[in-house]
Amino acid sequence: MSQKLVERLQQEFSGEVQAVSNPQGDETIFVGRDKLVDVLTHLRDTEGCEQLSDVVGVDYPDRDQRFEVNYLLRSWKNNQRIIVKVAAGEDEPVPTATGVYRSADWHEREVFDLLGVPFDGHPDLRRILCHHQFEGHALRKDYPIEQGQECSRPEHLFSDQDINAAARRATNLVTELEGAGDEIHPSDLLTVNLGPSHPAMHGALRAEVLIDGETIIEARTEIGYIHRCFEKEAEDHTWAQVMPYTDRLNYCSAMLNNSIYASAVEKLIGIEATPRAQAIRVIVGELSRIIDHLVCVCANLVDVGALTNYWYLYNVRESIYESLEKLCGSRLTTNYARIGGMSHDLYDGFETEILHKLKEMDKGNSDVMKLIARNGIFLDRTVDVGVINQEDALSFGYTGPCLRATGLAYDLRKSSPYWGYENYDFAIPTGTSGDTHDRIMVRMAEMVQSRSIIVQALENIPDGPLNVDDHSVVMPPKEKVYDSIEGVMNQFKLVYEGIQVPAGEAYGFGEGANGELGFFCVSDGTGNPYRLKVRPPCFPIFSSYAFLAQGGMIPDAIATLGSLNIIAGELDR
Amino acid sequence: MTSDLVFILLALLTIVPAVWVVFSPNIVHAGFALLFTLFGVAGLYAYMGADFIAVTQMMVYIGGVLVLVLFTVMMTRVPLGKRANYGLDRFVPAGVLSLAVFGLLYKSITSVDWGAGHTEAVPTVAEIGTNFMTNYIFPFEYVSLVLLAAMIGAAILIREEKFSEDEPENGETEVQS
Amino acid sequence: MTIVFDTLAKIGFFFVLIMGLVVVLIWMERKGAAFIQDRTGPNRASIGGVRLAGLVHPVADVFKLLFKEDVAPANRHAALYNLAPWLVMTVAMSTYAVIPFGDYLTVAGRRVPLVAADLSVGLLYVLAIASLATYGVVMAGWASNNKFTFLGGIRATSQMISYEISMGLALMGLVLVFSSLRLTDIVAGQGDLIWGFLPKWGVVVQPLGFILFIVAVFAETNRNPFDLPEGESEIVAGFHLEYSSMKFALFFMAEYAHMVIGASLIATFYFGGYQIPWLPRPLIEANAGLILTLKLIGVALISMMIAMLFFRRAQKEKGKFGDARDREPVLGAGLWVLVAGGALAGLVLKPWTIGPVGADMVASLLQVMAFVAKVVFFAWLFIWVRWTLPRFRYDQLMHLGWKVWLPLGLANLVVTALVMAIV
Repeated sequence: MSQKLVERLQQEFSGEVQAVSNPQGDETIFVGRDKLVDVLTHLRDTEGCEQLSDVVGVDYPDRDQRFEVNYLLRSWKNNQRIIVKVAAGEDEPVPTATGVYRSADWHEREVFDLLGVPFDGHPDLRRILCHHQFEGHALRKDYPIEQGQECSRPEHLFSDQDINAAARRATNLVTELEGAGDEIHPSDLLTVNLGPSHPAMHGALRAEVLIDGETIIEARTEIGYIHRCFEKEAEDHTWAQVMPYTDRLNYCSAMLNNSIYASAVEKLIGIEATPRAQAIRVIVGELSRIIDHLVCVCANLVDVGALTNYWYLYNVRESIYESLEKLCGSRLTTNYARIGGMSHDLYDGFETEILHKLKEMDKGNSDVMKLIARNGIFLDRTVDVGVINQEDALSFGYTGPCLRATGLAYDLRKSSPYWGYENYDFAIPTGTSGDTHDRIMVRMAEMVQSRSIIVQALENIPDGPLNVDDHSVVMPPKEKVYDSIEGVMNQFKLVYEGIQVPAGEAYGFGEGANGELGFFCVSDGTGNPYRLKVRPPCFPIFSSYAFLAQGGMIPDAIATLGSLNIIAGELDR
Repeated sequence: MTSDLVFILLALLTIVPAVWVVFSPNIVHAGFALLFTLFGVAGLYAYMGADFIAVTQMMVYIGGVLVLVLFTVMMTRVPLGKRANYGLDRFVPAGVLSLAVFGLLYKSITSVDWGAGHTEAVPTVAEIGTNFMTNYIFPFEYVSLVLLAAMIGAAILIREEKFSEDEPENGETEVQS
Repeated sequence: MTIVFDTLAKIGFFFVLIMGLVVVLIWMERKGAAFIQDRTGPNRASIGGVRLAGLVHPVADVFKLLFKEDVAPANRHAALYNLAPWLVMTVAMSTYAVIPFGDYLTVAGRRVPLVAADLSVGLLYVLAIASLATYGVVMAGWASNNKFTFLGGIRATSQMISYEISMGLALMGLVLVFSSLRLTDIVAGQGDLIWGFLPKWGVVVQPLGFILFIVAVFAETNRNPFDLPEGESEIVAGFHLEYSSMKFALFFMAEYAHMVIGASLIATFYFGGYQIPWLPRPLIEANAGLILTLKLIGVALISMMIAMLFFRRAQKEKGKFGDARDREPVLGAGLWVLVAGGALAGLVLKPWTIGPVGADMVASLLQVMAFVAKVVFFAWLFIWVRWTLPRFRYDQLMHLGWKVWLPLGLANLVVTALVMAIV
């Protein structure tokens, strides 16, 4: 099927599309810049690729055209993926894909910000992760990394012209809806900064809203407050050393980040984790998913003013964290997975302890449901608030619970199973209307499914080795290091030179707690990643926030934001 | 002696903020100053033994009218703190008008015998109620009719989408929102 | 002059009652929230190791807030900014002038009514003062010169004027039933029995009015689910965002003072005020000796039981902390033994032979205690609701106030008037 896709494309665009061989199994094509939009439109309209997952820019200073831009497309309908590559020299603009996919907006801005690739026709080509005073492009290979820059001035997201235009638009809208109405004067509108330091902006996000009364006429978002250029950091470390940095992406579900990163690198190397390691990844991953959902739901309920639910859910989270701490020594930054396996095995009594904690979770969840499920105020506050329909959600790049809340039963654990997810029996909870209430309820229901997966995995956890038997990837056991020269050499090579990942590209992905979490790995055969691009699920989701907030009221915007589960750690990287 | 002192204090509480209301260039300041004036007037009523009027004054003027005035001032686009145009073309007619009103008030105030100042409060509520329902039933009903008309007017104003040709200015904001 | 003295004494009583209750309520809020949320709650502050189950925390808070730096925004409107907290607090305290907390007390042969100012328009006074509460909030919101405080002020204004109306309408039904605006008359009327067994409490004769009133009171006190003027997740802290130190403390205390008043109003209007059901004053006075004796015995028994619990804790936790906290259970046991001893010592004075003067005092005391107990219960209701419900959105609140509560209030008034006319 997928091989045919490339062939079909080659037929359709005779000679314009070249297949790129990829031993890791990612279907890849190369097109000329001028044909890019045509190919993307064709893929969207006739091949069913509804979603642009990510845009990855890679810098090859030695090539004629130094930049390579990868468009990662995904079709839910036909369950296929394809990577479209284009090349561009310095100052050679790439035509924008914003007309085809709405998620292209922020992804292209990111490529422009970090690599300096200009996009022709992009409506709002500004920096996104770096400060607006920042000079240079950090992910270029020739960026002087030691150089410090002082960026001090905050950015006003609304200029006077913007406010005037918004007032005009609002007036027109009122006239359109009601036949006639008062003219809305620019001085009627108030700009209010929600964030970066605001009780409801979990993490450092900023949304500047233009309000008339309490109705949001227009919203604009700014991110990057905790941008640390994780991807540049990764290029300066060995593949194994990147692991602890992945903890800091989505710090609510660090286990999932660890495991999915490890899987991505394993895919590039061409190995697969042992069955036992896979089962452990499933167990700790689902625990992380539960924690992530607990945090999201309880914070969301606090946002709508129901404080008590916070403790009912947070106590469970703390209780699960105790087990995770026992397992790997820390609560949030777990650093538990390893390329080719796990850092160490489960401890004795893990199983009974987790089963006990799952009971606590049931208690917490049922207590919360008792408080909210039929509570009129809660329903008023969440039903039909922050609604996004399926088509928009796909176009904006929604994945995970937020997409499933629109009624689409799309879960990477089902559609492209990994870690043996095909062996577990679980359902995909979906919503109907894609509003805040559905997002909360989908998360609540997913916790029940995760619980069932954990119980199944704990029952059927296979014995056998934890790590793959490959000494070019996995550290030798300590006895071997102490007792034999080969062991010492092995350890020495792995620590000093890192795992020698063969040159190539691979996109490894998995179902993170908040949607598709992917790592696009490029290796040049040395011990360090040449380019490591994260696809954080909440980046495209947050790009739609302004769209969702507009037209609602401030409390709606707050409730909506809580239900989107934006984690600044992975948003800003 | 004590009662005179109370009267003087209440009178000052009425007059000083009233002067501020008139001369303050900032309409929000004027609104807050009016609060004290109305409070002083309520105090004067209470001092004269008219407890029902005093409390009604507080409820209606302070609790109702003035809150709405402040609310509207805050909700509408008034150039806060900007000085109004004090040209002669406005000063002269305003002055003449004020003098005329002052003369009228002076005449009526001096022509009435106001009796003693301070009186002990006697319960008057029942009496007022009886009077409303017997001797003054017509004015009472008349006033209620006016209020009903006002309420219907407000209800029409907020249903502007159906009466779009009227183009109402600014409906009752708190009902609208 | 005696009137002045009486009034001052009553004002003093109320001041002590409100401030005392504020401290207790702050404690109750924290411990109550902790109880609802499966936590321990405050248990750290102590005086010489005695923590009083967290009751020391409000004291510590007072000292903290007194000595904190008073940070004020640079572009505030200084006069109004400074006036607002005082206004809020003053208004909160003034309502109490008309609330009867007991029937009367005979002092040196004079019958002193237990209400600071028995106004013939007491009910209107309550409504008038309630409407004044808006000003402090609006003033604070406007004078702080901050968008969030301003939004908070606007929200407070619209919310308060909306719910004042349904509050007034709910009370009008009550006025029809008891045909008086005087609060003492209303409470005295609630001492009767309907059909000989049902207390004629406001809640019995005006059930819908009670629901309307309690919701309106919640809205007027700005407590969850009506805490929009604060709405910490939306407009940060609303109107008191820019206040710190003792000015903030005044807002904080005013919230609890409003709660005390809300609870007192609910008790006064709908739960018989100081009336003890089926136990009218003459009956208490006639059996004062018996009641006092039973009460002393009861107090002694309960104190002994509490003291026993403390003793057991003292034995179990001997040297648990290794510091001053170990003394706490011993001191607690000692305190309760003292209380029990006092009650038993009272029995020596032969309380069953009490005279008419004593009987009068016992009756007044019992009534005041009944009133305070009702107030504390309804204050707990405020706390309970706050930690259970989410917050309304602005337009939903308006919808409820104008389109649901107002027609219901009118209907209640009309139905009450019809029933009163027929009966």
